Amino acid sequence: MKVLSFIETRNLLKKYNITVRGTELFTEEKEALIYAKKIGFPVVLKVSGEKIIHSTEQNAVIVNIKDEKEFKEVFNALDKKFKDKEGILVQKQFKGKELVIGLNYDQTFGPVIMVGLGGIFVEVLNDVSFRVCPIDKKDALSMLEELKGFKTLLDFRGSKEVDLEKLIELLLNLSNLIIKEEDVHSLDFNPVFVSDTEINIADLLIIKK
Amino acid sequence: MLKYIFNPKSVALIGASNEPKTVGSGIASNLLKSKKKIFFVNPNSKKVFGKKTYSSVLEIKEGVDLAIIAVPGKIVNFVASQCVEKKVKGIIVISAGFSEVGNTEEEVNLRKIAQEGNMELIGPNCLGIINTKDNLNASFAPLTPSKGNIALLSQSGAILDAIIDISKNKSYGFSKIVSYGNEAGVDLSDYLEYLATDKETKVIMMYLEGINKNGRKFLEVASRVSKIKPIVVLKSGKTESGKSAALTHTGSLAGNSKIYSSVFKQAGIIEVDSLEELLNTSKALSFYNRSQNGVGIITNGGGFGVLAVDYLDLDGVKIPKLKKETLNKLEALEKVKTKNNPLDVLGDALADRYEIAIEALLQQKNIHTLFIIQGMQMMTEPEKTAKIIIKLRKKYNKPIICSFVGGDFFKKAIDMLEKNKIPNVEEIKRATKVIKNLTYEK
Repeated sequence: MKVLSFIETRNLLKKYNITVRGTELFTEEKEALIYAKKIGFPVVLKVSGEKIIHSTEQNAVIVNIKDEKEFKEVFNALDKKFKDKEGILVQKQFKGKELVIGLNYDQTFGPVIMVGLGGIFVEVLNDVSFRVCPIDKKDALSMLEELKGFKTLLDFRGSKEVDLEKLIELLLNLSNLIIKEEDVHSLDFNPVFVSDTEINIADLLIIKK
Repeated sequence: MLKYIFNPKSVALIGASNEPKTVGSGIASNLLKSKKKIFFVNPNSKKVFGKKTYSSVLEIKEGVDLAIIAVPGKIVNFVASQCVEKKVKGIIVISAGFSEVGNTEEEVNLRKIAQEGNMELIGPNCLGIINTKDNLNASFAPLTPSKGNIALLSQSGAILDAIIDISKNKSYGFSKIVSYGNEAGVDLSDYLEYLATDKETKVIMMYLEGINKNGRKFLEVASRVSKIKPIVVLKSGKTESGKSAALTHTGSLAGNSKIYSSVFKQAGIIEVDSLEELLNTSKALSFYNRSQNGVGIITNGGGFGVLAVDYLDLDGVKIPKLKKETLNKLEALEKVKTKNNPLDVLGDALADRYEIAIEALLQQKNIHTLFIIQGMQMMTEPEKTAKIIIKLRKKYNKPIICSFVGGDFFKKAIDMLEKNKIPNVEEIKRATKVIKNLTYEK
């Protein structure tokens, strides 16, 4: 089992038309700050490295950084605290509805894909659905519709309907990835933020066999 | 494939016995009920059930299509090799003591013997098979099931026996029954493939604990077969999913049963969650084809109607509004002031009111299935209503599910319905489950 680095992950995803937006890896504070200013505050800082699989539990992620001063403090603190790392990710503070999406290898059925609604839905209600890969458009839509909280993705209480087409495309691309990349054991996008215009993967993890 | 298993001309039972209450005597007495050529093999007794025995399968002069092996696990492979030498076409290994107890090596060897000998292998560790058409009961099930068009594949012998007993003298029956055991040779997908083209089978009913092997093949085959014949499955048993997989969130969320349910959905298999639902659903499918989404409900009690709507709505079954033409036809029901779907023909409804209602609703295009509920009231005419239902079922050929809710009062009427292949499920919720399962494109 090997955890892919951010760069490796990004490159692998690119092969399958999956783009990681609003996120860059840095080792130097100065360059990191330039990027933060470019994408605009507030931003998220996150340590990336093989040893950091559950960044929240390991306190390796700080969200909602409002200005330059706070940015410098947090960057330096993280830099000191985590010696063994690939670098620090600067990420836009994404907005939208939270989803979890994953790939996994089932002993009986082989590669499976999962989608769930993030936050309380997945933690408390276990609101997730699965399909054995490869999947087609119809499967992708039906696994979304199967979610108890599917309605929250639609035009719901004033929020706009998320871009279902893009979401379905992402699921199909992931299914394609796990079928073709035989040495990928599992993948986790948790969370993914979806809105009416874009899909942003906030946290990603790929494990090779 | 499987031709010689289900339709052998001659059958040898190796391990036939006189000893009451043993596997060897159970199978022997079941086999004697068929008109096949039967040979008993037992080196230790001269006669079994008054029939001459052979000391080995090799001693039989005539050809043997099928051999049933019910000998101690340790000598199974030796006996199987003799069957190869005898050019037996297929074997059913009843004996246990293989991979189910960790003895994988012996099972691999058994598989090799069968494969190299060009001999089909059922089991090991199974109860056997039944083909009702030929009265062939090559199992140690204590009863022979009623004939019908349902094929049953079961991973559990006990459940299989129970189903045979429950279904005895009922309105439905079985074409083939298979206890498939460890699947060392023929596997679950092979049976599905066979049943897809089996003329006697209309519905495939499965009790499953887990897919032993070849999960992806199962998904592929079942997806194909379910388009030809409905497959109904009851799945039990949960195993720990791979520990290493739990490293990611996806892994820890992937409960084994969730994956199975997804597979069933992808394959177009109808999953049920109780033995009763398995039987009710298979029965309905043995009478009817699956129908599109849209149910009409007729009841003589408002309460039943509300319950039905609650259950059906939760299950995603549509209850279409009554169209103008339908309402026009229903004007003949003078006493019934409120006309909706569900249609309450009121407690004082005689059979004639049901007749008008049933005919009107069956004529509405987007009503694909009819749910007829009747409770006992002062005026209720169960048998007369049953007669009308039977008549109109023939006329319109849309599936009708009845729920005559009660006991003795309805017994005769229910018997009439069932005899005419109209299923009655005496409880509203269970009846709605059958309607849901009958519906496709939910």
